[in-house]
Amino acid sequence: MKIAELARAIEARLILPGGKDRPEIARIHGAETMSDLIANAAADTLLITPLANNQLIRVADLMDVPGICLVDGGVPDEALVAQARATGVAVLITRADLQTTCARAIACLSAKKAAGKAARP
Amino acid sequence: MITLSYPIAGGDFDSAGLATRKLKEQLARLGVDASAMRRAMIASYEAEMNVVIHARTGTLWARLDADKLDLEVADEGPGIPDVELAMREGWSTAPERARQMGFGAGLGLPNIRKASDLFQIETRVGRGTRIRSTILFHDGEAGPAEASLASGAFRPALGVDDGRCRGCRRCVFICPTGALRLRDRRPTLLDHLCVGCTACIEECPDGVFSIAADAEPNAGALRNVPQGALLIAPRGFVVGFPGFRPPELILSGLRQIGFSEVRFLEEWEESLRRESRHETAAGKLPRPRIPPLCPPVVSLIESRFPALMPHLVPCLSPSEAACEEFPLRPVFLAAACPGQYSACARSSLTERLTVATPAALANAVLPLLNSRRADGELPAVRVPRANPAGPRGLAASGVRSVLRLLSRAETGALADVSVLELHLCVGGCSASPLLTSNPELNGFRWTVKHSGEPPAAARRNRPYEQREGLRLDPDMTEAIRKLAQIDSMTHSLPGRDCGSCGSPSCAAFAEDVVMRRAAEGDCPFMENAR
Repeated sequence: MKIAELARAIEARLILPGGKDRPEIARIHGAETMSDLIANAAADTLLITPLANNQLIRVADLMDVPGICLVDGGVPDEALVAQARATGVAVLITRADLQTTCARAIACLSAKKAAGKAARP
Repeated sequence: MITLSYPIAGGDFDSAGLATRKLKEQLARLGVDASAMRRAMIASYEAEMNVVIHARTGTLWARLDADKLDLEVADEGPGIPDVELAMREGWSTAPERARQMGFGAGLGLPNIRKASDLFQIETRVGRGTRIRSTILFHDGEAGPAEASLASGAFRPALGVDDGRCRGCRRCVFICPTGALRLRDRRPTLLDHLCVGCTACIEECPDGVFSIAADAEPNAGALRNVPQGALLIAPRGFVVGFPGFRPPELILSGLRQIGFSEVRFLEEWEESLRRESRHETAAGKLPRPRIPPLCPPVVSLIESRFPALMPHLVPCLSPSEAACEEFPLRPVFLAAACPGQYSACARSSLTERLTVATPAALANAVLPLLNSRRADGELPAVRVPRANPAGPRGLAASGVRSVLRLLSRAETGALADVSVLELHLCVGGCSASPLLTSNPELNGFRWTVKHSGEPPAAARRNRPYEQREGLRLDPDMTEAIRKLAQIDSMTHSLPGRDCGSCGSPSCAAFAEDVVMRRAAEGDCPFMENAR
């Protein structure tokens, strides 16, 4: 699923589109700790977290994550955005909390998957 | 093979993760596959964050081989008082600042362990922590690579220059594990039996044996000793140079080639002795407690006397402890035996620690000694007062004494001895035949005064492991058949253990024949009987 498409579906604002060659989102992982995030991050994973700090971008970059979504209405500072731009990580923000956002994203991804299956004969 | 290193600054949350970032760039250039990369990044990042959160300063090393990636992160910091607790998920001592950033969930070390195929942690309270993580590139079918890791730990570092051999067979008889054979007038080493002692080195009149050539540092390492480098050597190293050269002159020469400090192995021997003497500190170990003073003795127990493994004091051997004592300084070790070499070489990545043979070090120092005199200013030297064995302790050295005592201890006959101190070299590490010395002169020429307290003993984090001998056959039924064959053949041999066949005993020869390492005709008596 394209990251902009997912952003609309989960009512998040895409404040920074990621690098063009990043793969589409196939799964999401929401967590409140860095260790949880890094252990579950992959090249097709959107990370959803309230942790709006530069280490989040570092983790995303190390694990080749295509995008991150900051929840709870957290506003990333300029340094974070600059770092994300430099590394090609897409940034989403939303007022909703972690649980709600994850629930929306999962619903949307599975709907898409089901649609994909139905489309194929 | 390539080794990379990156510094890590403790407490610096802004640049945290940069070392791992740089490592990633290099690994990507070298074409590491995605799965291995992912695991490497998790292990490296978590280890780096541990340094940033808890320690003052640290370094990340990465060594890349064709089949695996070794990561090592060492720091100078508070250490971990209870490793078992720290390995538990959810346990953390991270400060508030780190927690606010999403760290301190108590998942860091468990994450590293999960990402690694081989995980080790060494830590000393008040000094620092060293984490090693190995990532194999072919997971799933990890068989051969796994095996190479396991056997790598025990690859004997004994070098055999068989061109010098005149076939006297003394080595065959002296080897405490019967690891040597003479075949076609050439000594052959059975790798799985060698414990890395110096028995054959000392016994051989022709200089066939030494520390393996690949154990020598490359020639440049001793010409460009890095700044602040420290040399750890048995005391005998500075005493036993050829000709009359007082220790002060040798120390001065060592300083000239760039060592800022020389520390003697005896310091850590002494701390290990003290640790072993107290029941409380050493835990409830059965008597006699055996301190791991001599790595070959430990190997010997792990292979030939596994029943005595519970008697081994769970501390690092003096040479390992000495190398661990200075986690971030470049350390050189003059290894007194092949066993010491392999114990230390396997405990760390190569860059920080250089294990050198005493001969290589002596060759670097000797040219400087002819032209100059001792210039008075000596490298720092600390030698704690030695107190061998202690009350109810028994110290012994030399292959024959050690074998005799271990056999007795195995039957429970030494329960009245509280501490059993064993060295396979007669007279201990300082008297090793690899230190170009007359051991008799060690005490006589030693003029440096005793000073200083020994450092604290270093606990082992890994348990002792029984060393598997070579199995007779991978198939159990076949192995039993071979064992019966060996048994019946042993009985048909003359039983003189004369060694004419090149094996140390008739039983060993029978095994050699069954395992196709020798032909039946090699026994002159069997040949005549026909």
